[in-house]
Amino acid sequence: MSTNLELQRVNELERLRGFSNLFKKESRAWWRSRRWWINAILWTGFLGGFTAIMLFLSNSEVMEATGDEIAQAGGLLEYTLEVGQSVFFEFGIPMLAIGTIILTQDAILGENQNGVAEWLLSKPVNRQAYILAKTTANVFPILIFLVGLPSAAVYTMLSIRGAVLYPAGDYIAAVGIMTIHTLFYLSLTLMLGTFFNNRGPILGITLGSVLGGGIIGGFIKQLLYVTPWMLPKIGFMTSSGQPVPGAIGISPIISSAILSIGFIFVAIRKFEQKEF
Amino acid sequence: MNLIDDYVIETTGLSKSFGDVQALKDVNLKVPQHSIFGFLGPNGAGKTTLMKLLIGLARPTAGTGKIFGCDIVKDSIAIRERIGYLPQHPRFIEEMTARENLLFTAKFFFNGPAQKINERCDEMLDLVGLIDKADRSIKGFSGGEKQRLGIALAQVNYPDLLILDEPASALDPLGRQAVLDIMERLRKYTTIFYSTHILDDVQRVSDTVAILNNGRLITAGPIEQILNGRDGVVYSLAIRGKAEKLDERLSTLSWVTKTSSLQQKGTNIWQISVSDELEAEKNLLRFVLADPTLTVAEFKRKKFELEEVFMDIVKGDKNVN
Repeated sequence: MSTNLELQRVNELERLRGFSNLFKKESRAWWRSRRWWINAILWTGFLGGFTAIMLFLSNSEVMEATGDEIAQAGGLLEYTLEVGQSVFFEFGIPMLAIGTIILTQDAILGENQNGVAEWLLSKPVNRQAYILAKTTANVFPILIFLVGLPSAAVYTMLSIRGAVLYPAGDYIAAVGIMTIHTLFYLSLTLMLGTFFNNRGPILGITLGSVLGGGIIGGFIKQLLYVTPWMLPKIGFMTSSGQPVPGAIGISPIISSAILSIGFIFVAIRKFEQKEF
Repeated sequence: MNLIDDYVIETTGLSKSFGDVQALKDVNLKVPQHSIFGFLGPNGAGKTTLMKLLIGLARPTAGTGKIFGCDIVKDSIAIRERIGYLPQHPRFIEEMTARENLLFTAKFFFNGPAQKINERCDEMLDLVGLIDKADRSIKGFSGGEKQRLGIALAQVNYPDLLILDEPASALDPLGRQAVLDIMERLRKYTTIFYSTHILDDVQRVSDTVAILNNGRLITAGPIEQILNGRDGVVYSLAIRGKAEKLDERLSTLSWVTKTSSLQQKGTNIWQISVSDELEAEKNLLRFVLADPTLTVAEFKRKKFELEEVFMDIVKGDKNVN
């Protein structure tokens, strides 16, 4: 090959050929643009703000609480903390899923549509590396800015409102559930990007699952065991130290985690078969 | 690649179907090393499909293909390591400048030293005349500039083979000229396999040509051979006088294979195909002038324009089908 001998050739595993360069390119879209700080402010402000309202301001939810509800929680302060966590986990987890879907719906589809994927794959790039770069480069910032920062902010608020450090173990476990829920929708969205050539079905399926999953689960209860539809509720219960009903158990957590990994495998398989 | 192997690209029975539509049928193609190989065909002939098969963007439904002796399906990454590809509509990372796009592309092949990679990128920007626009946003680039940047991106890895899909088709005459000039400059470094439907471009820069129509390879070979036409060597004579019996007289010559004539402003223009060029040069004119009623206003060996050959071949192919 005619080449400049002073240049060192890239030496990567064949299955991961092109990964590091693609990962840097994908990361650049986060870190060398406004995207990271906009999301950091947006989600911390949005979820933290709603939770703060519940924790620090008099609101109808707390004012209208019955004596039984307050007694069941162990007092007004405990009840207030529960309401705050309920907002953060039961409302916040689906919101983060919607944010994740919006942020990633174009990651694969957009490059398929504008021809960039075809151009990239004319370079020595393994298709598996392409999907893995898309996944990993989005996972870290989404977990940092959509999950990590708001969770840290809310934990701080819970500790301030309770005037003691809030029990970290349960809270971290709940944030773990939030992470799995977010990763489920991230991987589902990326996978659908390898199946469809327009946004309609991608947004329809993912948002339909987030917003309408609970309704479907009401009709077909078995689905609640294998989908992430119960995770917001389980997240809240875990964080507030309430026992998760045995009927539900941890199966939605495990199956959502397994499905998240499975979606990436399917995305790789599908993308390897794709023709341009 | 094997040193004794003279062909960069070799396909055998390569075919591709999309459902019921057969885009490529049994293509057997050989692209010699260090050639500028023009791949001609009307729109929809299957040129882009063949290129996509070669670089692994699509899979053949039948047949095999080799580049540098490597299988186009099994060894696609090893092949792409050594080729440069310019798609019909070049794409870039729009958020990056021209230089950043080049650096990004170079890093698929090289991981250092950074200074040498930068030098290579500058060399490419210089080659395509974009060094003064290197740090500008690509969004403001004209079609011709984008095409030239596309060629720079394709060439950044010192490819042994450049595959260019319609590199000049969408450009104005100046843009086309610039792209053809770059191809000429790259000739000494690499083999260039490019598709086009602009026959003038092929005649200007190519040394080898293949013609594809309806997914079938109709002809391929050195451009001189193609320009000789399908009827072999043809002589053209402008004859005045009563030439009614000339056809009959010519048919007695064993080396004359085909004749045709047409009337043009009182002159008969005869096209005479021959199988023996030497015999024709020596005796054809003498033979015609042996008839004292005839005068020959012009006698020359016919030189075909590629457009003429192309139309003849493509029309002939349609008639066969």
